[in-house]
Amino acid sequence: MNMVLLGNLSLAAAFAASLLAMMLLLTGLMRNDLRCIESGRRFLAGVAVFTSMAALALSRLFMTDAFQVEYVASYSDRALPLFYKATSFWAGQKGSLLFWAWVLSLYIALVTWNTRRETRQKNTPYIYLVLAAILGFFLLLLNTVSSPFTLLSFTPPDGQGLNPMLQNPGMIFHPPTLFLGYIGFTIPFAYAVAAMISGRLDPGWLRKTRRWNILSWIFLTIGIILGGQWAYVELGWGGFWAWDPVENASFIPWLVSTAFIHTAIIQERRNIMRVWNMALIVLTFLTCIFGTYLVRSGVLQSVHDFGATGLGGFFLVFLLVTGIGSTILIAESYSQLRTRHSLESLLSRESTFLFNNVILLAIAFSTLFGTVFPLISEMVTGRKLTVGEPFFNQVNTPLFLLLLLLTGLCPLIGWRRASADNLKKNFLFPATLAIAGAMVLFGTGVREFYPLAAFSLALFVSATILGEFAAGARARKRLTGENLLVALPRVLWKLRRRYGGYVVHFGMVLMVIGITGATAFKQEKEATLQRGEAMTIGDYRLRYTDFRSFQDRNRTVYAATLDVTRQGRPAGRMTTERRYYINAEQPTTEVSLRISAREDLYLTMPTIGSNNEITIRAAINPLLVWGWVGGGLMVLGGIMAIIPSRRRRPTP
Amino acid sequence: MTPAIIRYGLIFALVLSLQAGTASALTRTEVEKHLICSACPGEALNIDRCSGGDSMRAEIDRRLARGQDLQTILDFFVGQFGEDILTVPPRKGFNLVAWAAPFVILLIGLAVATIFIHRWNAAGRRETSGRDRPGAPPDPALRRRVEEELDRMEDAT
Repeated sequence: MNMVLLGNLSLAAAFAASLLAMMLLLTGLMRNDLRCIESGRRFLAGVAVFTSMAALALSRLFMTDAFQVEYVASYSDRALPLFYKATSFWAGQKGSLLFWAWVLSLYIALVTWNTRRETRQKNTPYIYLVLAAILGFFLLLLNTVSSPFTLLSFTPPDGQGLNPMLQNPGMIFHPPTLFLGYIGFTIPFAYAVAAMISGRLDPGWLRKTRRWNILSWIFLTIGIILGGQWAYVELGWGGFWAWDPVENASFIPWLVSTAFIHTAIIQERRNIMRVWNMALIVLTFLTCIFGTYLVRSGVLQSVHDFGATGLGGFFLVFLLVTGIGSTILIAESYSQLRTRHSLESLLSRESTFLFNNVILLAIAFSTLFGTVFPLISEMVTGRKLTVGEPFFNQVNTPLFLLLLLLTGLCPLIGWRRASADNLKKNFLFPATLAIAGAMVLFGTGVREFYPLAAFSLALFVSATILGEFAAGARARKRLTGENLLVALPRVLWKLRRRYGGYVVHFGMVLMVIGITGATAFKQEKEATLQRGEAMTIGDYRLRYTDFRSFQDRNRTVYAATLDVTRQGRPAGRMTTERRYYINAEQPTTEVSLRISAREDLYLTMPTIGSNNEITIRAAINPLLVWGWVGGGLMVLGGIMAIIPSRRRRPTP
Repeated sequence: MTPAIIRYGLIFALVLSLQAGTASALTRTEVEKHLICSACPGEALNIDRCSGGDSMRAEIDRRLARGQDLQTILDFFVGQFGEDILTVPPRKGFNLVAWAAPFVILLIGLAVATIFIHRWNAAGRRETSGRDRPGAPPDPALRRRVEEELDRMEDAT
């Protein structure tokens, strides 16, 4: 079967189905005709069938080396391993866009299934309508300016191949997980807009979208962590986060959605902050689209080589229409959204959540402002500056420390009202531990303010979280008489929504420890070695023992082996490589890593001399592994928080 | 349990301090982070790996070997290539907006949040006093039941 034809027809059918769905839904709403709304729902769900067919067609084209297709020829070649051929699907922007539309249509199909008995409700048709419009936008782009099925005027004998940097498992899963996050926030956005249009502004929309929010947040977190991991193990510059515009584009929605997840809890409990939450979910969606605009427009220079794709204008228009439309809706719904807020005390968990929101949004703002400042500067002064890593580190570090402090304070302060006695009792142990830790660190040579503050606050937050865990286990022990070791996992499972949140916070603490260790106490050294020579870094001695070259599938590999000793004792052997890929102009450096709980030993080989003498760049990144463990815990905590509870049967 | 936690906390702090004991002097990467590659506009030197960047890296190494500090090395490159070579906008002129804006926004946000919390708290006090005025002081047993109910609600989330 002709896969190009199938792909094109499927995309056209998907777009037609989304348009038809919109028309039917609008007609149904205007005539108050349930049959039209039901038909619209079915057409909307049906889009997923066509987008799935288009996705299958593109996959098949990659697997069969169909180089007459421009997109396949640009991102694959015959020598590319099968796994990477399959995942080249989203290596470029056209495939990414199809992936986006495909996943969004699947999400929408799930929503239409879950709400199949709710079509009579006033807000449901509007949810469908918003979703159909957003999906229609992506399908319009795919059918007009960004089709992955465009044919070349000739069939090249081989493709240009996949960028070697992208031939890494971390990079393979990094874009789709980020997309899953971005796309997921479309659902709560649609519910929020539908609530405002229909006037059904009770917290029902929040409850129904809670899992979508957290699931999208989890995917965004995984995507960001995988991106950092990829940069660390693949790019060879020894870092994991460079505050590049495209990295920032993923971090900003993460910050805003984190703020939203926190205040959504307050609305669920107290039905307050309704305007604020509406604004936050709109902002989350807009920042997701803004990130996509940044990546696709080429307005900012980035290490992510997407360049100007011609889609920037479309995304800008979409962003403006969505932004202005949402703002008008919030303004019009303001009087209905506004509630009588009352707090029993100045010091309550509600107030700490609000301050936490302010800090998260301030970090989001500083990241956004720093990212676009080169454009602003060019407009005002005519000079296009570059705003890089040190700027973001200097501006955001104090804000992150404030956030960390609040993360520790929050569990100590009860909902509604914190009594002075309670606060004193809860505060004493963590504060003492943090101060003692700071004194020990200071006494043993840590004199810089930021590392000292970060480690002390990490101790403070850990103590408050451990205190919460211990209190929960003790309470269960009192109730059930269970052993503490039995009571702890049971209470964690029973109250997993609450403790999932604490696990996320503890993950964040570990991440702070890892990042602080690896940035404040990093050591590095570069040396050129002849075979048999050695270099030292920290406690390590690295002796260059072997050099070999060989052909491995689509690349020629030059590998140097070094024997490692630590404090005089053998500590294994490390091999670092330079790879020359077919179809790639630049060689890549393959990082060699020796990971321990204490530190990472990180080796790369920037150059190889004519007599096989090698230049080794070595770095010691203390405590970094805890950052990755922390990232894993953040994801685990998020998953804990969305596992549904078994519904209680009503007692007769 | 508490002394044990303190003990482990102190051990942890000690481990961190041992790491900290190896805190390094100015490294080439630290300097690279502040500079753009002269051959690849927009790309920070610590990420760039082109030959144009290599000559800058060699210059940094030479200056680090002479014991120069970060600012002296950066001043040298600014003299060579102008301020556009920096990844950190100098704190002067219009650039001050970039440095100040995040903190101004933070202060405004904190001020607004504080005002809102005060207003909500005042409304809460009014509601409480409004409820309390007509009748006798709340029954202690009833208050205890309400507190217990609130505790249970908190446990459920």
